[in-house]
Amino acid sequence: MSNDLDSKLRAALRPVEPDAGFADRVLARVRFTGRSPRRLLPWLPAALAASLGALLVGGHFWQQQRERAAGLEARQQLLEALRVTSEKLDIAYDGVRSQSRRDDEENSGA
Amino acid sequence: MTHPARSVRTALVTLLALVALLMATTRSAGAEPLLDLPDFDALADKASESVNITLDSTLLGLAARFLDAEDPADAAAREAIAGIKGIYVRSYTFDTDFAYSAADVERVRRQLATPGWKRLVEVRSRRERTAVDIYVSLSAAAGAGTADGLAIIASEPRQFTIVNIVGAIDLDKLHKLQGHFGVPDLELESERKLDSRQKRE
Repeated sequence: MSNDLDSKLRAALRPVEPDAGFADRVLARVRFTGRSPRRLLPWLPAALAASLGALLVGGHFWQQQRERAAGLEARQQLLEALRVTSEKLDIAYDGVRSQSRRDDEENSGA
Repeated sequence: MTHPARSVRTALVTLLALVALLMATTRSAGAEPLLDLPDFDALADKASESVNITLDSTLLGLAARFLDAEDPADAAAREAIAGIKGIYVRSYTFDTDFAYSAADVERVRRQLATPGWKRLVEVRSRRERTAVDIYVSLSAAAGAGTADGLAIIASEPRQFTIVNIVGAIDLDKLHKLQGHFGVPDLELESERKLDSRQKRE
């Protein structure tokens, strides 16, 4: 019984040579479907390159904007510093001038 | 016999001591044009308005790049900051008279009592209750008429201001600012009159 099953299985699973047109038929079907794993996402490299480009341009733009903001802030601070300086120099000037005037008056009176 | 490690240590200690001595000598020989401005946080808390500007050489360079050459005020500012390495301003405005203490002013004034700093102008107005002092730091390397530091201390009833400018300050350039920022002609002749009068008194 067991030998019979064994021989049946061996007969069923015996190596069989494909017929003459088998390879051509397989190749024809592959060509017909036309899909290869590399062509599944043809846009992926372009998308990655575009993203990288956008990132670089965006980063550069952001950096420029940041530098511009810092520059304008520094300019504003410089003008404010000069304004405060000139304001205090004005007070000193007024003091010196009025003192000078008093000196002149004293000298002319004497 | 002396241990080699010990000799190296002794040599290092000697070298460090010499460097420290040299640094101390150099510092005492001339004034530092950059003042050590105290932390005025307590004043800033009390002030109704405060201006805290710190522009070192990097920021000055950045600011200069954004000055408009066509604008007369900007052009004058550019001219004024040529040779300047830093501008530091602390100004506090208060709602009440003399909300700041004399000690706050003295902390800065003490630094200006060191050799190298020279008081150029001293203005005291009893009526206005204001005191403005202008100091210049003259280094040996600087040429005649050129200072490497300027300090202004202005005490007004409701305002306390310190300005410290570091760098080659040409007083002539301040004259050129006249009209753009309200900077007056300092009339150094008058200052000398004031100085001589103060000495007589």
